[in-house]
Amino acid sequence: MLEDELNVGIRQREGVAIIDLMGDVTTFAEEKINSAYREVTEGGARYVLLNFRQNDYINSAGIAILIGIVTEVNRNNQKLAVSGLSQHFQKIFRMVGLAQYAEIYQDEDEALQGFKSATTA
Amino acid sequence: MSNNKSETKPLEKIIELRLPSRLGYERVAMDTASSLARRMGFQGDRVDALKTAVSEAVTNAIEHGNQHDAAMKVVVLLTVRDDELIVSVADQGRQLLDQNNVTRTPHIEDILDKSDKGGWGIWLIRELVDEVEFTTAPTGGNQVRMVIHLER
Repeated sequence: MLEDELNVGIRQREGVAIIDLMGDVTTFAEEKINSAYREVTEGGARYVLLNFRQNDYINSAGIAILIGIVTEVNRNNQKLAVSGLSQHFQKIFRMVGLAQYAEIYQDEDEALQGFKSATTA
Repeated sequence: MSNNKSETKPLEKIIELRLPSRLGYERVAMDTASSLARRMGFQGDRVDALKTAVSEAVTNAIEHGNQHDAAMKVVVLLTVRDDELIVSVADQGRQLLDQNNVTRTPHIEDILDKSDKGGWGIWLIRELVDEVEFTTAPTGGNQVRMVIHLER
């Protein structure tokens, strides 16, 4: 009843692999997030966007999963960004230091622009 | 909430939750704390901070204090005062909190290459509430007491 489902979707847009995360990011989300990341990486993604949507609840176990993604992104020489986080979780991501490894954007369009200017810079 | 006019002392309302030690039930505590804090007049960002702190405290109690034993309870006491909200979370202490963890500040650079990327919960609680105390309850369990002050 209380083990809320996280819905994960994968899309491609303008050369960026977008992983949509709809729902709660807690310990129950680990397998889904990791397998979505593996899938886009095996598909050759160089730019990965974690696009959060309607995430009322991201806890420290969820943060640990995301740090795991950062480790893999560094290892695989990819670039990571996040979008769609509420103000509260943007603050938490900055506090934890995730913002050093993944640019934080308000929304998907802003993130795609950001990736674009990073590649042309 | 209705005020009892005959009361002369400052009003103090206490709500008690007894949760099974199963992950997911921390949401019940989060939602209750959030609802109370909103009614008391806390701003949205402070309510969000409290929700995260409460969820981390209850999750620790479930995972560590009670070792996921669903028969063991996590007791959450929410005390509403005129100018503050106190949330205390107690477990049955199958595993006691290492006091070294209470003051530790995790650094993401050190954690990236470790297999265990957790350990943020207690630090987050400390960062997000106005006052926090980690103690051992007289009954032997871990107890976390968190306070947020209402600024008027």
